Amino acid sequence: MSASLLHYRAWQGSWRRPFWAVVPIARVALGMLLRRKLFWALYGFALLLFLMFFFGSFLLDWAETHLAATPIQIGRLKTEPERAVRFLRQGVRVLNGSQETFAYFFSYQGAMVLVILALAGSVLVGNDFTFRSVGFYLAKPIQPRHWIIGKCLAVGVIVHLLTTVPALVLFAQHGMSDWNYVIDVDYFTASAAGNGPASWLLLLGIIGYGTLLATVLSIVLVAAASWLRRTMPLILVWVSLFLFLRIVAAILVDGLKYDGRWRLLDLWNNLGLIGQACLGFDHGSIRPAPQPAFWEAGLALGGLCIACLISLKMRTRDVPIVR
Amino acid sequence: MPDFAQNADAGRADRALTEAPADGITSASITLPVPRTREDRAPVADAPGSPTLLFDRVSKWYGPVIGLNQVTLELRPGITGLVGHNGAGKSTLLRLAAGQIRPDLGRVAIAGFDAWTAAAKRCLGYCPEHDTFYEDWSGRRFLVAMAQLFGFTRGESRRRTEATLELVGMRDRADRPLASYSKGMRQRIKLAQALLHDPPLLLLDEPLSGIDPIGRRESIALFQELARRGKCLLISSHELEELEKLTDHIAIMAAGRIAAVGTLSQIRSVLDGHPLTIRIASDQNHQLACSLLALDDVVGIDRDGDALLVRSRNPRHLFAKVSDLVIEENLEIRHLETLDESTHDVLGYLLGGRGR
Repeated sequence: MSASLLHYRAWQGSWRRPFWAVVPIARVALGMLLRRKLFWALYGFALLLFLMFFFGSFLLDWAETHLAATPIQIGRLKTEPERAVRFLRQGVRVLNGSQETFAYFFSYQGAMVLVILALAGSVLVGNDFTFRSVGFYLAKPIQPRHWIIGKCLAVGVIVHLLTTVPALVLFAQHGMSDWNYVIDVDYFTASAAGNGPASWLLLLGIIGYGTLLATVLSIVLVAAASWLRRTMPLILVWVSLFLFLRIVAAILVDGLKYDGRWRLLDLWNNLGLIGQACLGFDHGSIRPAPQPAFWEAGLALGGLCIACLISLKMRTRDVPIVR
Repeated sequence: MPDFAQNADAGRADRALTEAPADGITSASITLPVPRTREDRAPVADAPGSPTLLFDRVSKWYGPVIGLNQVTLELRPGITGLVGHNGAGKSTLLRLAAGQIRPDLGRVAIAGFDAWTAAAKRCLGYCPEHDTFYEDWSGRRFLVAMAQLFGFTRGESRRRTEATLELVGMRDRADRPLASYSKGMRQRIKLAQALLHDPPLLLLDEPLSGIDPIGRRESIALFQELARRGKCLLISSHELEELEKLTDHIAIMAAGRIAAVGTLSQIRSVLDGHPLTIRIASDQNHQLACSLLALDDVVGIDRDGDALLVRSRNPRHLFAKVSDLVIEENLEIRHLETLDESTHDVLGYLLGGRGR
């Protein structure tokens, strides 16, 4: 070990701005998570739902074309093809590629996202505090905000991988199943009412819903994991936020008939409400009723995010002295 | 002229620091560089006369507890050891210098930039005490990621990673996961991440802890070579013997203040008020003790086996007198050594306790 071996060239280039550091920070966090087999197992499990949505429409098409000819007999149970197809269509009616399809998809897939984030929070964020790796980061030419953004970016990528990306595949599947777009130049704009496949508004709604989930969940997770660090406390808080408060809100509004604004306690409902607004749902059609207004849900989410960011600022201000 | 103050009157130390003439690390007057606080501005070489690291009347509180109290310190190229008991404020000082916490009062600047700005951190290599990393990662991958945080391109990050791995002697082991590294290997990787961008200022917190003797010797040689090449190194260490081998320029911290800065001998020389303990063994201990007790500077004599432990306020005078006694009284001195000239003992004196 001799200083004579210090032969790297003096840096002649210009430094990239500190903001660029968010990319390696996110990459490091993702690298930590993607190495874990448990993550891939959960990701594969989460994709089962996507596969159900993906092949559900094919199942419906197949049933409509193949079950029409002959009566169906399963054991002693015999039924007419029309009834079977009607039953099947009723079961998979939400898989037609409409806004309802994506509302259900985000809702179900979101539950899996919550589970994965609760388990991954300590790896993505908490370990930086537990092992004091933050000290290495903040000794580099970056500010705490860059670390926060980098971590949020990593969480956002996970959320998008689980929700937005599969949803876009579903959108493409439903959009492309109708080949009219090849010959009809007005195909996308003409169906822009937001209620059917191949609608630009629907596409924007899907991206908006995914971005909303990624933004809010990443800020909440990074804030929670930076204080709690370990997996178990994080799971407890996560369950309280997304399950306990949901039950409380349901009891207050549905059971005790309190005002619908009490549903603002339910963070997941707020996310769903704004997400469905992105998808173009009318407020009156959203169940369960009554629901708070869209702007009220947005305000609640915004307030939560601001509180989390303030807490993160406090957490990273004197971070190296935290044990 | 060293800068020195006792713990009991630490305020005097700061005055001494600012009033003392310039002699290397400490200087008489502090000329504040023109502040440049924009993050994206490239670091510039030190302006002539501006220190590499400057603490200007810096105070830091943790709630009601004061971590650093009116510290004024200037560091220029060279090695400075930072010593002090636990809770003396060493870590706070290093973290302030690393820009990880901000002072409540005063200013910390690196090469003229406020310490928490990106421009200042580009002039800084920080090697923290803890060595827990992302354990699944290889040393090489960890360094590449750290290099990218400096703003290097991916290619340049790889080149610098290889160069620093070679520098710290870890190139052949860099692909092993960090979890499999020994304490010494972790120290080397930490050092490598601090050297990636060839900074003018290195803050090293216990860099020799856990390194085997050969590695320790290599590290010391590396630090000295870096200092010769104009780097400024601030090394916090409890390994005081190693620190003595590395540098004789130390800053002693006590109760959140800089109690003394300078070379060991300089600091010791102003400790005349504190008796120096000297172990003397003679074939005529009783006669020697009687003669020494007659001296005004000797404040006490104890027996230590077949030797005497003499405490003197003026060791130079004592040594001269012992020489005279040897000749005049025909004494045979079998053994003579000073027991408390090491950093341990100086530290002990300054902090009001025993050094060892």
